[in-house]
Amino acid sequence: MGDNKSEVLQGTLDLMVLKTLETMSPLHGYGIARRIEQVSGDSLVLNQGTIYPALLRLEQRGWIKSEWGTSETNRRARFYSLSRIGRKKIAEETENWERIAATMARFLSSSN
Amino acid sequence: MDFLRTLLSRFAALLGLRHRDRDLDDDIAAHLDLLTHEYIASGMPEAAARTAALRDFGGVTQARETYRIERGFPHLEQFARDLRYASRQLRRSPGFTLTAVLTLALGLGANIAVFSLLNCLLIRPLPVPHADELAVLRTDRNDDTRGHNYTFGSPFLRALEQHHNGFESVAGYSARPFQVHDEAANVRVPGAMVSGQFFTMLETPPVLGRWLTPHDDREGQANVAVISAGYWKARFHRDPAVIGSTLTIANRPFTIVGVMPASFVGADPVYRPEIYVPIWAEPVIDAPFNAIADGYHTWWMNILGRRDPGVSLEQANAALGSLSDGILDQSIPDAKWIKDARDHHFRFAAEPGSRGWSFLRDTFRKPLVVVFVLCSAMLLLACLNLASLLMARAAARERELATRLAMGASRMRLIQQLLVESLLIALLGTSAGLLAAPAVSRFLGAVLIGGAGDYVMLDPSLDVRVLAFVALVAILSTLLVGLVPASRATSKSLNDQIKSGSQSVHSRQHRLLPRLLMSMQVALALILVFGAGLLATSLQRLRGIDLGFQPQNLVNVRLELNKQSRDGEALVAWYHRYLDGLARLPGVKALAYVSFPPMSGAVWTEDMHTTISHGDHQLYMNCVSTGYFNTLKIRMLAGRDFQWNDSLASGLKVILSERAAQQLFPGQNPIGQSVTQTHGADGKNVLQVIGVVGDIHYESLRKDAPPEGYTAITQNTDHKPDYVAVTRIEGSALPLATAARQLASKMAPEIPAPVLTPMMTDIDGSIASERIMAMLAVFFAICALLVTAIGLYGTLAYSTARRTSEIGVRMALGAKPAQVIGLVFRENAWISIYGSLAGLVVAWFAARALASVLYGTSARDPLVLLVSVLVLVSIASAASLVPAIRAARIDPSTALRAE
Repeated sequence: MGDNKSEVLQGTLDLMVLKTLETMSPLHGYGIARRIEQVSGDSLVLNQGTIYPALLRLEQRGWIKSEWGTSETNRRARFYSLSRIGRKKIAEETENWERIAATMARFLSSSN
Repeated sequence: MDFLRTLLSRFAALLGLRHRDRDLDDDIAAHLDLLTHEYIASGMPEAAARTAALRDFGGVTQARETYRIERGFPHLEQFARDLRYASRQLRRSPGFTLTAVLTLALGLGANIAVFSLLNCLLIRPLPVPHADELAVLRTDRNDDTRGHNYTFGSPFLRALEQHHNGFESVAGYSARPFQVHDEAANVRVPGAMVSGQFFTMLETPPVLGRWLTPHDDREGQANVAVISAGYWKARFHRDPAVIGSTLTIANRPFTIVGVMPASFVGADPVYRPEIYVPIWAEPVIDAPFNAIADGYHTWWMNILGRRDPGVSLEQANAALGSLSDGILDQSIPDAKWIKDARDHHFRFAAEPGSRGWSFLRDTFRKPLVVVFVLCSAMLLLACLNLASLLMARAAARERELATRLAMGASRMRLIQQLLVESLLIALLGTSAGLLAAPAVSRFLGAVLIGGAGDYVMLDPSLDVRVLAFVALVAILSTLLVGLVPASRATSKSLNDQIKSGSQSVHSRQHRLLPRLLMSMQVALALILVFGAGLLATSLQRLRGIDLGFQPQNLVNVRLELNKQSRDGEALVAWYHRYLDGLARLPGVKALAYVSFPPMSGAVWTEDMHTTISHGDHQLYMNCVSTGYFNTLKIRMLAGRDFQWNDSLASGLKVILSERAAQQLFPGQNPIGQSVTQTHGADGKNVLQVIGVVGDIHYESLRKDAPPEGYTAITQNTDHKPDYVAVTRIEGSALPLATAARQLASKMAPEIPAPVLTPMMTDIDGSIASERIMAMLAVFFAICALLVTAIGLYGTLAYSTARRTSEIGVRMALGAKPAQVIGLVFRENAWISIYGSLAGLVVAWFAARALASVLYGTSARDPLVLLVSVLVLVSIASAASLVPAIRAARIDPSTALRAE
């Protein structure tokens, strides 16, 4: 069960992270997770730990980059920010999403 | 692009795994810290804040796992882990590992060795470009008794050089050792005479200088030579000034014009010439013989051709056939010969020649195939054995595997892990086999070519084909061998049975497969033992044949006088002096000259007739000196031996063998009577019979002794004949060797050193294929018995170990040791019985395949069958008794407590 949920959310989580970093950079994992929760207005219950595989994926693709820094509680942590490629990809991915969403909406409304 | 970046990143991660994991830990720690801090700030106590933080975060372990999967190559890491686990498991049971690896090494090693021999002799093409375009020419007649004929006379070559429709080039090739002058004397060097188009046909450019061309292959121009890279290195030390220097071959000067690369081996895979000269040099090389002058009477070369590109072999063959008549008319001046040829549908034909041509091929094709079949049976046995062992071992780990299945491991995963174990065994076994194989194939090769002549060499080195074969076999055997036990050990039904209790009382079906495998092994072992018994018996019968003479302690001293200056009576006197010189040695008991020692491969026949012989009879001839029959211990039946004073003037004399005497003079005493040589050189030679001797085997052991005739060396009219001094010695041949060489170099320093060969080597060489088959069959039979015994022991030991508690209960309830032994022994007894029966049935039918190679032994010899069964049964029983006896020694209390 748990497996299924995170697979569906994978694509959406990546985009959410990117959008978050677009407006607020640099940010560490905690910050990104909290911001996503804020923006989605608690309609989304997120396991904050799932951020890290997503961040790794994005970093492997070269869409975000990381730097070591110190957190508010004086702990060593990585701070992430968008790369140039990442910035370009946001527009692409957003367009993608809107297209999918529109198609789904058409489907669902037509079956009514 | 993204994919590439991801891949590179994963690769980088592979190299710095720990580093990435620590980074993640730091991140997670910082994250949790911040969350806790947040909750504390909103008023929660620290402990509660920590719990809330963890809950918000979700599963830390899950996050780590998902991270790890993203980070590297999970499959690769998994495989590495499986390998480590497998090697640990194997190290824990060294006995099993050793047995398994050795079994596989044996099966694979033997196969690799034999296959590389097969490859070198039958499969590997010549190392020239487009070897598939090469063809070997032969002549066919509808009365061919000895198989196809691959030798040609020079007229045919010359005609084919002019007309060769369908072929781009056609070349003649004749190999023999040359006498080359080196420092003081002549030495023998493997050489070849080739026609003008030979090198263009083989398309391999020289490393230095030029090829031989059709311009060189003409009368008067043929004093040029091309040498091999090996000879250039050994004799000329890679001096670039070798081009233009002179080589004295057969006492005549030849100019070196080129050097061929090391990869060039000529047209015969088992004979590597060091020197190539044109065909027209033959009268010099073969002096005093002249095969070219003999024209169509002497057939002495092989002919190869390269097909025109785009012409198939069938088309080329057809074109050649249509040329046959024309070539006959052009080359043969004898109308009677042509008519006889046409009556027997004489035609030229072409067959695939990418592998060149070698006389060895025909001789050894069948034995090598038989040996290969034996090897495959051995490999099958090894795989079956391995499968049984693995199955028994997996069964012993049922508890462990069932537990892991219950804890959530997927079946695929467990099977994967078990397969990796089999893979490891296969890898170890293959490496061990590969290590041993070259030595084994060299040994086999040496036996195979034992009596085949000088400078014949097999090069069974591993090449791509062999390695590919090895890899294929190893992988297949792993999969077959490992899959079945793995899937059985992890089956669900097993799981249920384990849960129901520790007594592993298995269903009948469950025990069927292992028993079937074991029975098959027993059957295979019986077949191998039976085959070995048949071949060994046949070999013994061959060895026991009465040759008509005593071959032990005989040494052949081969002399080559054909290029020195003495001839006629002076040469005979030289030979006489040389013989006397050798006779003075203390170890020499008797000696005499002969042209062709028995089983030496050479044959000289003459048609003879008498007034009462009812036509011509073919006699196998030999030219001998006084004392030949005494030296070989051939029975003298009537008359007398030759004397040194039987000169030409006293009239030609002949000694007949018993069979010849009976054929030429049926019912009469031949002594004193005359025999006429039908195709005598000077009209018709008439010889007087002066003695009759016992028949001896001339050509081979299998063929009966033919009718034979002997003439005297003192009456031989050939120029500069070569003889072999057959010497009966006592003790070591070493003093004879030294003396022979020293005497020869003192009496005729210009001739090559004499070559000594024990007579038994020639005789063994003539039955080389039978020896190889018997040797290998016996070797495999012993291995098969060993392997089967180990298998029977191993599987019984495993299954008995699992039944420890059951046996404990039985003994506690009063079973006697003998009863326990019987109980355990019974398990294997049925396997052995059914297996033996199956093996008997198969052997009964399969043995017929061996019938053609057996001598004097029926393929269904009852004694051999009986002995095979007895041997198998006793070994199987011995193997099964050991675990049975051990089971009887089980202490019931410890057995029950162990549960």
